[in-house]
Parts: sequence; structure tokens; C-alpha cells
Amino acid sequence: MIDVIHLSKTFPQKDGSLLAAVDDLSFSAQDGEIVCLLGVNGAGKTTTMRIISTLLKPTSGTAKVNGYDILQEPQKVRENLGFLSGDTGLYNRLTAREFITYFGRLYGKDDNYIDARIETMAELLDMKDFLDKKIDFLSSGMKQKVSIVRSIIHDPPVMIFDEPTGGLDILTARHIVSFIRNCKTQGKCVLFSTHIMREAERIADRIVMIHRGRLLAEGTLEELREVSSQQDLDDIFVFFINRETSETEVKANEF
Amino acid sequence: MNFSKALVVYKKEMLEMFRDKRTIFSTIILPFILYPLIFIGVSSLMVRQTAKLEEKGAVIALADSVQNQDSQFLIDKLQTIEHFQYIPYSVNADSLYQQKNIHGIIVIRDSLQESGIPVFLVSVQLDQSTDQGKLISAKVNKVLQQAKDEMVKQRLSAYGLTTQIVNTVHLTQKDTSSPQKKLGSLLGAILPYLLIMLLITGASIVAADLVAGEKERKTLETLLVSSTHRNEIVLGKYLTIITFALINVLVNLFSLYFSMRSMVSQSGLEMTGVKFPFQSFLVLFIALIPLATLFAAVLLSISTFSRNMKEARSYEQPVLLVSMLLAIVSFFPAIELNNGLALIPIINISLLFKAVMISDYKIIHLLLTICSTLVLDVFAVILTVKLFNSENVLFRSEVDTGIKQLRKNKRKFFSPYYGLVYYVLALLALYYIGSAWQGKEIVSGMLKTEIILVLLPVLLILAVMKLDVKSTLRLNSTRPLNYLLVLLIAVPASVLVTLVSQLINLVYPIPPEYLEKMSELLNLPQLKLWQIVTLIAILPAICEEIMFRGFIFRFFEKGSKWFPILVSAGLFALFHLDPYRFVPVLLLGILLGWLLYKSDSIYVTMLFHATNNTLAILISQFGTAAWLKNFMLDQDNLQWWLSIPALILLALTLYIFNQNNKKLLTAYSD
Repeated sequence: MIDVIHLSKTFPQKDGSLLAAVDDLSFSAQDGEIVCLLGVNGAGKTTTMRIISTLLKPTSGTAKVNGYDILQEPQKVRENLGFLSGDTGLYNRLTAREFITYFGRLYGKDDNYIDARIETMAELLDMKDFLDKKIDFLSSGMKQKVSIVRSIIHDPPVMIFDEPTGGLDILTARHIVSFIRNCKTQGKCVLFSTHIMREAERIADRIVMIHRGRLLAEGTLEELREVSSQQDLDDIFVFFINRETSETEVKANEF
Repeated sequence: MNFSKALVVYKKEMLEMFRDKRTIFSTIILPFILYPLIFIGVSSLMVRQTAKLEEKGAVIALADSVQNQDSQFLIDKLQTIEHFQYIPYSVNADSLYQQKNIHGIIVIRDSLQESGIPVFLVSVQLDQSTDQGKLISAKVNKVLQQAKDEMVKQRLSAYGLTTQIVNTVHLTQKDTSSPQKKLGSLLGAILPYLLIMLLITGASIVAADLVAGEKERKTLETLLVSSTHRNEIVLGKYLTIITFALINVLVNLFSLYFSMRSMVSQSGLEMTGVKFPFQSFLVLFIALIPLATLFAAVLLSISTFSRNMKEARSYEQPVLLVSMLLAIVSFFPAIELNNGLALIPIINISLLFKAVMISDYKIIHLLLTICSTLVLDVFAVILTVKLFNSENVLFRSEVDTGIKQLRKNKRKFFSPYYGLVYYVLALLALYYIGSAWQGKEIVSGMLKTEIILVLLPVLLILAVMKLDVKSTLRLNSTRPLNYLLVLLIAVPASVLVTLVSQLINLVYPIPPEYLEKMSELLNLPQLKLWQIVTLIAILPAICEEIMFRGFIFRFFEKGSKWFPILVSAGLFALFHLDPYRFVPVLLLGILLGWLLYKSDSIYVTMLFHATNNTLAILISQFGTAAWLKNFMLDQDNLQWWLSIPALILLALTLYIFNQNNKKLLTAYSD
């Protein structure tokens, strides 16, 4: 499971001012649950996920992955985490098998374990034909499959997908979606981000909407529909944004 | 730190590099092709060219104004030279020579010695810069020498003597150097440079790819999110660079050795008894490893800092250039390694190699070289690890550097980056333009330097950037007491700084010619005293204070208060382009920075600067009084006791100044 607790991250701008990319954000995701981080570009989705996966350090607040604090035990956090983003690159000069084995070893797994796991996953994702081809010669769909196996080689209980379908064609995107669902059936905790409303609608058990680094709304699709009395997720999203901006406007008027 | 994971990273990087055709080509295949091609190609070409040139011969105009049996003897000798063609000398011979239709003119005349014996005067006109000229010089000298020897023999035999009588000195020279040592001294000049350059190029071939390349291909994030510690990643990549640097050296040396050997055997040179100094090579290789690690760390930190490969390559260029300039010392015949030079990176290895090649090196130098390189290496590794753990560096984004953007954003403009850019440009202008002006005419040169190169650019930039001149340059008036205090501070400070420069003089003696030049500068006989004071004290005080305390100081006002003070002082000292005055000027610069920091007024530092320079002028002008002259120039009679009252006075005045300007502290940090 993932616990995000009052997380904030500011980036110093070149002119000395501070940009709050994530602003006092709290939410959680349980095991066997798919949670979608929904927001427009620049809302702070990637920053949040990078903090959870220990790539960035939070300015304040913290997060826990499977009970391990990202600040106290970053190593444990990474061991319990699988990370996949849409624009991940691969080492083109390696074969698919070498690439996956490399990461398996980096996660401290022995070669027997890695070999067995590659066999199972290759069977599942129909990868046998290109397992020993150089990645350079693979199609983008094949590459995405390699990335999927790479992200799950150490069988982590928590999976994070940062815009996983961004830039992919429909068929490849379907692989990802079914893979995400598969993670859920295995009882993994899944957090994925997107700015595509339909995707959130289709896969997510719960939706966490963020805007300008702040939490906008949180709940199942049904709950969000009820609060906003809108049907379409697009409309729901716009509803919450309007509510938030009017609140801030009211606040501004108080002064 | 888990070494086995670093090894996993290392193995993967090596595998990837060996799969990269370009890397393999430039580090391994190219050297194997290149050296044989260069050596064998060039040597056979040279042999051919020389033969061809001899066949081409030369056309020479020949004049014989003596026309007797002996001169004919000389001409006969000259005509034995193969492929040389002689035409009789005529009036237009000179113009033919100018038009390069003929390559030389030989004129034979004679004169009589006191004893009445004729002497042949042979003048040879040729152009040594052309191939034919060189050919004529070599061949004609040879035959004329033979002719001369024969004529001497004839003349002596006329008196019934043999040539034994003129053989007054018989010289035999015994060279105790072994062929080994001769080869060593030749290789000692070339090899160090070659090895160091091979080492760094080998390292740079892979370094850019390792981190900047991962950023470019978007694989770095995946790597960082795996459960590998970042130090393990750094170590794995670091070892990869070292390996490639050493592979590059080994492959090149191997190919070089075999190419040279085959060239030597082809040329038929006598090389028996010459063994290639393999044991020296072992020492070299051991000494090379620390340098390989240093290059690896420096290049890895560049690669980590850069956003993409292109950027990494452009940051590598200056490192390559500096290494080249340092490594080139092995070509200088007079420089030898000593304990001091053994501490300077690259130079130490270069000179050590040279010493090793002639089997004449000291173990202490080897140890100092290795240790000092390793110390630097540790710093570079720490820097790399730090960079690798800095999220700002790993996820660095593009910076907008448009002038409009900067104009809108003044704080962005006043960053250390632009400060250094401005400074370097100013320094270059001073070096290339200023010194040319001053070399032409000292007074107008100094005037132009201060006004056009130091002051004007600052004012121009302020105008372009639409910055407020008064507040930016701190043209703030201050309380009258401050001006008085500054005068009181300047006197003991000048005395102390003079003492410090004398102290430095004891350790690193200043050449007397230099001192003379300096006092000439302060003693311009064509000028009146007030003119000298204006030129050397007041003008620099205004212009230089505006540039350094007013303008450059602004770029470094971040973090600690000492940062802008120390940086501006360092840059100020460097700006004088004078190694002997660096420390004294640095100390004055620090004091000036502190005075500015305390008073928030540029007028204070201008007054200090002017007072200090005026004191120097007065001493050199009226310093003919014996005690003063001794004090200034003669280190044996240094008035050390002066430092005590000077220190007391300085401490006292600084204390009062500090107390007097406490309130202004807060106004400054705004």
C-alpha cells in the first residue's frame, strides 16, 4: 500500500522564487486497489510519483510504501516498488533478456530466480520470439512489453505507472491496461497517473484529482458523480476545478 | 555499498560499450590500422621523395672570374654532382634567380693573402627554404670540402710536406650513453604527451555516454528507481571509464611498438643492443592508473552534470585542452621533475615518464605523483557522488538565457554564472587589447584601459539591462566619519600588505628586473605628481571599484556574506595578471569587500583604493630617503617592528568601523 502524508515539494526557480509543484498532498492506495492520479499537465503528478519512488526528496511531509518511509528507508521502498513510465528508454544495445536480467540483478535477485521469472512472463506476454533480439530491432509494442517485465522482475507489492500509455498506439496501450488489471488481481497496490479521463474511468477503483499540486477531490467514480452531480468524468473534473478556483477567489476577496 | 551490484553495473556498461561499433572502432580498430599506416606510409614516402628530389637536381648559374687551372679544378669538381645543371653566368642571372628559373648562383673569385698565395672566394647564393636550396647547400658544401682538401694536399706537397702537419687537433668523442638511453630520451619527449592524451581521449569516448547518454535516452530514471544505491552506480560507471582509458593506452602502445619496430627494421638502422624498455613501461603503467582514475572522475562528473551528450562533449573540450597544455611539458628540454612539480597533476606524470624513460627517476617523485593525483581523484569522486545525489543536477531543465528574459528578471541576471562570463570577457579584453595599448604608450594606454575596458562596459550593461545605476553600484553616500576612518585604515593596511609582499619575496624571490619595471611604472618623469596620482590612484580607484565592488560583487551575493567578498577579491587579484602581486592584492580585495559590505557605499572603497595607491606613489617618488628605500625594496633591512603598530592601528580602526556601521548590515541583505 501507499500512504502519502502532507507531501509538499517546491522547486527553486532561477529567479529565486519558489514553485510549489506539490502542495500539502495526502492520499492513500490499498493493496488490491487501482488508484488513479488524475490531473492536467503540470499538475504535479510526475513529481508526486517521483517522490514516492525516492527519485526526488520532498520539501516537507512524507510517504510510505508498504510501510517503509521514503525518507527513512529509501532502499526498502525501492525494493518494494515497481516503476514504469510511458517515456522510459531502454538500453538498445542489449537484448531483451540481457536488459531484464540486468535489472533483476540490480534488485539483488539471483540468476535462477531471474531466468524462471523471465520464462513465466515471456509465456504470459507472448515474448518468446524476441527475447534474444537486440532491443534496437524491436517494435515499440515489443519494447513496452520488455519494460513491463523489467518493472515487475522483482515481483514488488506496489506498482507505480507514470502516464503509462502516453505516446503508445491503441494495441500497445491495451497491453498496459490489461497488465495493470493483472497486477490488481495479484493483490498488488497500483498507483497510476494520467490526464486522459477515459482511461481513469475504465481502470481506476478510486480517483485522486490534483490541480496545481493540491488535492482537488478524492473518491470512487460514483462518489465523485454524486458530489458534483455530473455524469461524465470530464465534467466532474471541470466542476471541481471551478469549485477550487471560486474558493480561492472568495478567499482573496476576504482580504 | 554493495560491491557486487557495482560490478553488475560495470559488466553491463562494458558489454554495452563493446556492442557499440563506434566505440570499438575508435578505441581498438583504429589504432591498429592507423600506426602502421602512418609509420610505414610516411617512411616509404619520405625515402621516395628524397630520391625524387635528387633526380630533379638543380639549375645553377656559374661564374668563374679567375679562369685558371685551379678554378677549373673547382668547376670540374662541382660538375661531378649528379643531376646538377650549370649555365654560364650572365647579367640576367639575378632576374632568373628571382623568377625561380634557376635555383642558385655560384661565383668564383680570388684574392691574394699577405703571403701572396691565392685564395678562392666561392660565394653560393641559394634559398634554404626551398628543397633545391637545401640540396645545393648539402651537395656543394660536400664537393668543395673535398676539393679544398685536395688543394691543401697539393700545396703542401709543393713544400715537401704532408697533410699531417696541418692535423693539429685530432678529436675523438666517446659517447657513454647506451643506445637504450638514446632511445629513452627520444621516447621520453614524445611518449608522455601521447600517453596522457590517449588516456583522456579513451576516457572521454565512453564518459559522455554513461550518464548524459542515459539522460538523453531516458533510461536514467529507471536505473535510479531500482534498488541499487547511487554510489554503486557511480562506482560501476567509474570503473568502466578507467577500463576504457587503459584499454585505449594499451592498444595504442601495442600498435605503436610494432609499427615502430617494423619501420626500424625496414629502414635498416642499426638497432642491435637496443631493447625496448619494457620494465620502464611497467612503472609508467602503474603511474598511469591514478591519472586514469582522475580523468575518469572528472569526466564522469561532467557527464553527470550535463543534460545530454552534446553538452557533455562541449564541457569536455576545455578539460582536454588543459590536459594537452599541461602534458606538453615533456617536450621542453630544460624542465625536470622536483618535489613541487610532482604535486601538479598531469605535469607530474608527464615529467615522471620522461625521467623513467631515461631510467633516471626518484622513488619519492613517483610516490608524490601518485599520491597527489589520488588526492585530487578523491575530491573528483566526491564531487561526482554529490552531483549524482543532487536532484537538481539529475533532473536539470533548460535555462532560458534570452536577453529579454534576463532583463525582466534581474535576479536571474545577477547569478555567479553571468558574473564569471562577464569577468572572463573583461579579462580577455585586458589581456589582448589593454596590454597592446599600454605597450604602445603607457600613459594613454592606462587611461584607455581603465575607462574603455574597465568602466565603460559596466555602464553599457547597466543601460542595456535597464538597471538603476545608483542602487546597483551602491553609489550611496555614507556618514563623514566613515571617510575619515577609511583613511586611517588605509595607512596601516598598506604597510601590512607591503610587509606581506616582502615576506612572499623571501620565499619566492621577485626578479630584480621586475621590481625595476614596477618602480618605473610608478615613476613617470614626463608627468607632474598630480597627474601621476590621477592616473595611478584616482582613476583606477573609480573604475576598478565600480567594476569589482560595484558590479561583479553583485553576481555573487548569494548565501554567505563572505562568498561575494572572497570571490570578488580573488577575481580582482587575478585581474592584475601578475603572479607576484596576487596575494597582496587579494588581501586588499578582501578588506575592500568587507568595507563595502559594512558601509553599503562604493565611495568608501574608492577612497581606500585611492589612498592605498597614492601611498605607493609617494613612497616611490619621495622614497629616496635611505630608510624608506630600504624599507620598500631591501628585504635584509626590513622594518619588521612596523608590523606591530600597524596591526594595532588596523585592528583598532577596523573595530571602530565595524561598531560604527552595525545598523547598515540589515539594509545590505535586502
